[in-house]
Amino acid sequence: MSITGTLRTVRGRALRSSDAQRPVEPGHSHTNWVQQRDGRGIWFVVPFVIAFILFTLVPVGYSIYTSLYNTRLIGGTVFSGFQNYTATFQAGAFWSGFIRVIIFGAIQIPIMLAIAFFFATMFDLGIAKWGGAFRTIFFIPFAVPAVVASVMWSFLLEPQFGPFTHFASALGFQGTNFLGTSLIFPTLILIVIWEWTGYNMVILFTALKAVPREVIEAAVLDGASLAKVVLRVKLPLVRPAILVLVFLNAIGALQLFTEPLILQAYAPQSISNNWTPTLYLYNTAIGGQQYNLAAAGAVIFGLVIVVVSLVSLVSRRRRGEFA
Amino acid sequence: MQTSKNPNHRRRRLGISGAAVGLASLGMLATAVSGAASASTTRANKTAHKTVTRAANGCATGAVPITFWAWVPGMNRLVKQYNTSQSKVCVTLDDVGAGNPEYVKLAEALKSGTGAPDVAEVEYDELPSFEVTHNVVNLAKYGANKYKKYFDPWAWKEVSQGSAVYAMPGDAGPMGFYYNAKLFAKYHLTIPHTWAQFAADAAKLHKENPKAYLTNFAATDLQWVLSLMSQDNAFPFKYTGGSNVTIDFTGKKQMAFANFWQKMLGAHQLNGIPDVTAQSFGAMDRGVDLSWLSSAWGPSYFAPDAKQSIGNWRTAAMPQWQAGQHVAANWGGSSYPVFSTSKHPAQAAAFSEWLNGTSAAWKTEVTAPSSLFPTFKPELNSPAFANITVPISGPSHPNTVFGEAGKNAAAVSWPPFMTEALTLSGTTFAGVLNGKESLPQAFKTFQGQLVKYAKQEGFTVHTN
Repeated sequence: MSITGTLRTVRGRALRSSDAQRPVEPGHSHTNWVQQRDGRGIWFVVPFVIAFILFTLVPVGYSIYTSLYNTRLIGGTVFSGFQNYTATFQAGAFWSGFIRVIIFGAIQIPIMLAIAFFFATMFDLGIAKWGGAFRTIFFIPFAVPAVVASVMWSFLLEPQFGPFTHFASALGFQGTNFLGTSLIFPTLILIVIWEWTGYNMVILFTALKAVPREVIEAAVLDGASLAKVVLRVKLPLVRPAILVLVFLNAIGALQLFTEPLILQAYAPQSISNNWTPTLYLYNTAIGGQQYNLAAAGAVIFGLVIVVVSLVSLVSRRRRGEFA
Repeated sequence: MQTSKNPNHRRRRLGISGAAVGLASLGMLATAVSGAASASTTRANKTAHKTVTRAANGCATGAVPITFWAWVPGMNRLVKQYNTSQSKVCVTLDDVGAGNPEYVKLAEALKSGTGAPDVAEVEYDELPSFEVTHNVVNLAKYGANKYKKYFDPWAWKEVSQGSAVYAMPGDAGPMGFYYNAKLFAKYHLTIPHTWAQFAADAAKLHKENPKAYLTNFAATDLQWVLSLMSQDNAFPFKYTGGSNVTIDFTGKKQMAFANFWQKMLGAHQLNGIPDVTAQSFGAMDRGVDLSWLSSAWGPSYFAPDAKQSIGNWRTAAMPQWQAGQHVAANWGGSSYPVFSTSKHPAQAAAFSEWLNGTSAAWKTEVTAPSSLFPTFKPELNSPAFANITVPISGPSHPNTVFGEAGKNAAAVSWPPFMTEALTLSGTTFAGVLNGKESLPQAFKTFQGQLVKYAKQEGFTVHTN
């Protein structure tokens, strides 16, 4: 699947239909369309709509409902209005986690995309032998569940028996603790990069493959060097794909949860209960049984994600992606 | 037990927000469809499974079904033993997770009114959390009080409020001073009988070898810290049911306790790593930590990691705040309550009473892989139990010392929100391990957090 491909088709279709509609009066075309509508089409949408209602609207609605109440150990359940929201807005622990994941994303995403673009270009140019096999190998970390990956990395980086720790001390860095307070942040960045580079690479690779041959040929005929073709021709052409990846990865970074949760078991002194916003929500709900407070936090968190998605949509529309 | 609080065992429960708002679409549809399909097959499997387990569990046909949740390894042996010993009750065992994961499931099932077991393993410190929600049955009406005389007094106190009995006490973790005798001899250290002597030993050892420590102070292990506090008569909680609770981490006694340890921590005379981990056991085995203020179950947790120090470990009574006393403490252990949703509370109570209050059951429970330490005195006092030896402790008899501690331990009253306290503590006390914060500072922070939480939950909070 190529994101750019899909987008281009959407844009193409939109252009065509507006061209076709131009000579026709808008009102007329509308009636025409309604008359032609076939009820059977609805059945194709129904399964999605049911799933959407059951698994999106109902949970979100329930979350909002829960967030307006307060169930206490003493005194039972009472309506509390926006009290849980006020408490969450005032909870420094919740927002410090936000700042952390934003910094996390700001470092991790550019590095990962640079690596992914580099390898995607290598495979696209066909420089590497057995490109297909290597692409699959690079993609494997994505297929490893985050829990398994985190446990595996915890073992590799374990401060006493971990092979990487031994390796570091062999290089002269004695007493390196990858899971210690000072290194836990870069360690988590590395783990997430390891997990997601392959996936991003595959998307960029397909985007690069979709660059029209004629464009490249023209550039080559005009005497552009390889570096120029890659950086001046191909890179701008896959920019929409990169932009989509930036936003997808940003939402992923905001939702960072599994990796720090697993590593907390190995390094409780390095990862706090509010290390990320989702960890804060989880611990509020499970540790303190304060489901109402957690629900309010979840709604606020969800709204932040919605805002990020809207920014993504608007910025892509500005670039004319949706015509 | 510390390990049961391992966040590793916790399950992810969030996902309402981000996932729901962000995604929906095909993936979810696929899940929905495959979910429905697998649900029906699971049900079929379950029915088949039940018939098989009933027979495998040694049940007579027509016996009353009792479900039992526990995570102690080898509990299946006890269930089978009980089912074959009588024909009226059929107990089925489920291990739904150790500690916290089980409590989360229990709380959910009890709230919904269905799906909760008849009997479950619940640690002493968590039992009040189920008492406050009126989810546990008073076993007094099923004759539990006649067992009182067989148990360590502190254990009975922790499962009862007056004459009401909310669970049968099970195993325990009376604390002792567990030390490497070979290295104590090497550094010419004497076994500390008082805490003053303990502090002197810590300073002496650090002077002689800055890379070795008398012991590790695992500040992030709240249950362990609380056990030490209880031995100092500085336990910070008081709760006897109802809406009043006392939280006092900043009182005179508590601050004195914190300052005592801080003095050694500040001078880097103690190690500071999370305990009951491969790391802490490695430090003990390699002679970095010379002792462990541990509980009766400690040696069996340490044993798999002990290599070069096998045979060197001995057990002594905990150091005392006043010379000549015999104040002890308990760290860990579980009780076995019957839940109010049970359809057969009498049979469930009978099973819990048999499991914890008979020598027949204890004879099995003290053996591996369960290796439980009893609060049941007939077993505690049996020569066979007292004379058990373990390879890491050479020819010595650790159970004698731990058994004595069990008799002398003081009962404590746990607040009905230990899960929250444990969750908070990992982060609040992390700074103490890192050396970025002092123990008294952490106590003050923790006091504020717990008081705020308790008030949010509707308690009337007293602070001394």
